[in-house]
Amino acid sequence: MIDIVPPAFIFILGAILLPLLRERRLRQLFQLLIPVIAFIDLLYMPKGTYWVYNFLGYDLILGRVDKLSMCFGYVFVIVAFLGMTYALHVREAGQHTAAFLYIGSALGVTFAGDIFTLFVFWEIMAVSSVFLIWYQRDKGALDAGFRYIMVHIFGGCALLAGIIIHVSNTGSTEFGLIEYGGLASQLILLGFIINAAVPPFHAWLSDSYPEATVTGSVFLTAFTTKSAIYVLLRTFPGVEILVWLGAIMAVYGVAYAVLENDIRRLLAYHIISQVGYMVAGVGLGIEMSMNGSTAHAFCHILYKALLFMGAGAVIYVTGRRKLTDLQGRSLYKKMPITLSLYMIGGFSISAVPLFNGFISKTMIIAASAELHRPIIYLLLHLASIGTFLHTGLKLPYGIWFGRVPSGEKIEEEEIEAAEPPLNMLIAMAMAAFLCILTGVYPKILYNILPYTVHYHPYTVNHVVGMMQLLLLTAGAFWLYIDKLGGESKVSVDTDWFYRKPGVLLLWFVSNPMQDLRLGLQSFFTKMVANVASLSKNPILLPEITARYIHLKIINRLYQASGIDNDKLTELKELESRLAAVKEMRYDENVYRRPIGLGVLIAIIFLFIYGLIYFIRLR
Amino acid sequence: MSKILKNIFFISCGVSILIGLFIPHEHVHFWWEKIPAFDAIFGFFGCILIVLGSKAIGHHGIQKDEDYYD
Repeated sequence: MIDIVPPAFIFILGAILLPLLRERRLRQLFQLLIPVIAFIDLLYMPKGTYWVYNFLGYDLILGRVDKLSMCFGYVFVIVAFLGMTYALHVREAGQHTAAFLYIGSALGVTFAGDIFTLFVFWEIMAVSSVFLIWYQRDKGALDAGFRYIMVHIFGGCALLAGIIIHVSNTGSTEFGLIEYGGLASQLILLGFIINAAVPPFHAWLSDSYPEATVTGSVFLTAFTTKSAIYVLLRTFPGVEILVWLGAIMAVYGVAYAVLENDIRRLLAYHIISQVGYMVAGVGLGIEMSMNGSTAHAFCHILYKALLFMGAGAVIYVTGRRKLTDLQGRSLYKKMPITLSLYMIGGFSISAVPLFNGFISKTMIIAASAELHRPIIYLLLHLASIGTFLHTGLKLPYGIWFGRVPSGEKIEEEEIEAAEPPLNMLIAMAMAAFLCILTGVYPKILYNILPYTVHYHPYTVNHVVGMMQLLLLTAGAFWLYIDKLGGESKVSVDTDWFYRKPGVLLLWFVSNPMQDLRLGLQSFFTKMVANVASLSKNPILLPEITARYIHLKIINRLYQASGIDNDKLTELKELESRLAAVKEMRYDENVYRRPIGLGVLIAIIFLFIYGLIYFIRLR
Repeated sequence: MSKILKNIFFISCGVSILIGLFIPHEHVHFWWEKIPAFDAIFGFFGCILIVLGSKAIGHHGIQKDEDYYD
């Protein structure tokens, strides 16, 4: 029997060992082996709380294993395997190391039993994931990565502040239900919803994910937002504000996706939209909605990875990332397999029956109906329409079939395109298989959900209702097909608030503040120079002062009464004498007293001391 | 090819709406669930609302030129 270890450590150890493997085949094997080992490890992990280490008087718990954490653990390891398969052709070891660290820390968050452990892994997650963006190496990626890490550091600080207040208030470091209300819980919630990309704190996601490397963005879609959903499920179920934030978020992402031209940014806005369902599910707080959020996180990770793999494959083979650069090229002839696999992801996210989105998303919507929340129900339904419109219809149409809008001329050059490398196709095929498998046999997923499931997705009502919704959405898409092409524009989002005023801040710092600094510096430099020249001979200070005042007064008087040549020579002489005195250096031989000054002072003190002693004695 | 697609589309629209008219609704939570073919109507007009609404917002201030942040 092999001992089980925390799954986070398997990946972190993998991250350390991976750069040491120089042989390419060996390293590829290692990349695939680590997720497999972690998966076996998960299978052997019993329910309960273990791996408790005492540190500075607090218990650090690395293994809090129950149905909720296991569900997230499984899907994280599965997508790690899919993502590693997709990234197998990448030769740079650094990218894989960053990915392993990122996956490991996400698993650390998932199985953390106390908030300190949670926080440490939370921060590793932010720092390791930014490298998946920076490895793209162009200016856009470097800038976006910098903004990404700044936002996450801000979120981490909010979380840490909340944790410290929480621990000092309650004395408990347990990572569990936190009562909402009060500064501590609000700061912790803020830290969590920044990672969940809840508006207005969502712009880091749509800003940075499309700038990441083709393979890195697949990992990015899976872990940060979904681990945030996991911690929200743990700590804040049933918090009313999350219901509204989630529902608004679902529609917000969809509305921005309409305007998007960059294919991965369009998909990134759909992450925000889909995570909105999960956030709303957490906020609704009943068993059905919490099950729904967990199930939707599980399904979302699979189909979103598949969608990003598909879009990434197009970028990988064509080098183009904008709809306006791709349409009118009939790419479907050159990459039919990629198209088919992408469409499985598109149908899954759109909740087409028999695909996995249908069995999870509808659960959250049904929970909102169960609780009689009409506005939430309609908002979530509306977001479903937008999801199908973009990911299921507009994006594949624009990439693979799209016509060039009438009046515009297509560039003459043909795009070089073919199917992507085999490992990419295999990864996509596996993801597509899992999407269909969980869609057709929802029991596989329902059995590992945290609560018993009483929901049946495949009733005639559900299926027919969903088909009507989707088919008529397709009908409306048909009507507006020419309006929906990409536009060569960028959409201003809430990242404006730190991107534009950021430039102003830079100007403020480099101009007025810099002038102030220089002014202060020269003032104090002069002061120092003056003091230095005066301290050449401090004993002459009274004389210099007297001469200086004398000179100034005379100067004034002469100025008032009118200057002639005599007075001018007198002034010149006074000035030169002052200068001569200033130049005189201290020479102890000039000032030597009969006894040394120190001896004199000592004698005086001794005398006073003796006097006091004598008087006291009397 | 596209003609066949069109026919398939219209037939499946018709079939799904027809079935929807004849199956009983088990749990009615909201009043609109009693409207025949509500999902179809909602899908069609919801889609138009999203397209026109977003485009209107986009063309009135949200969308900027691509070098806006440079």
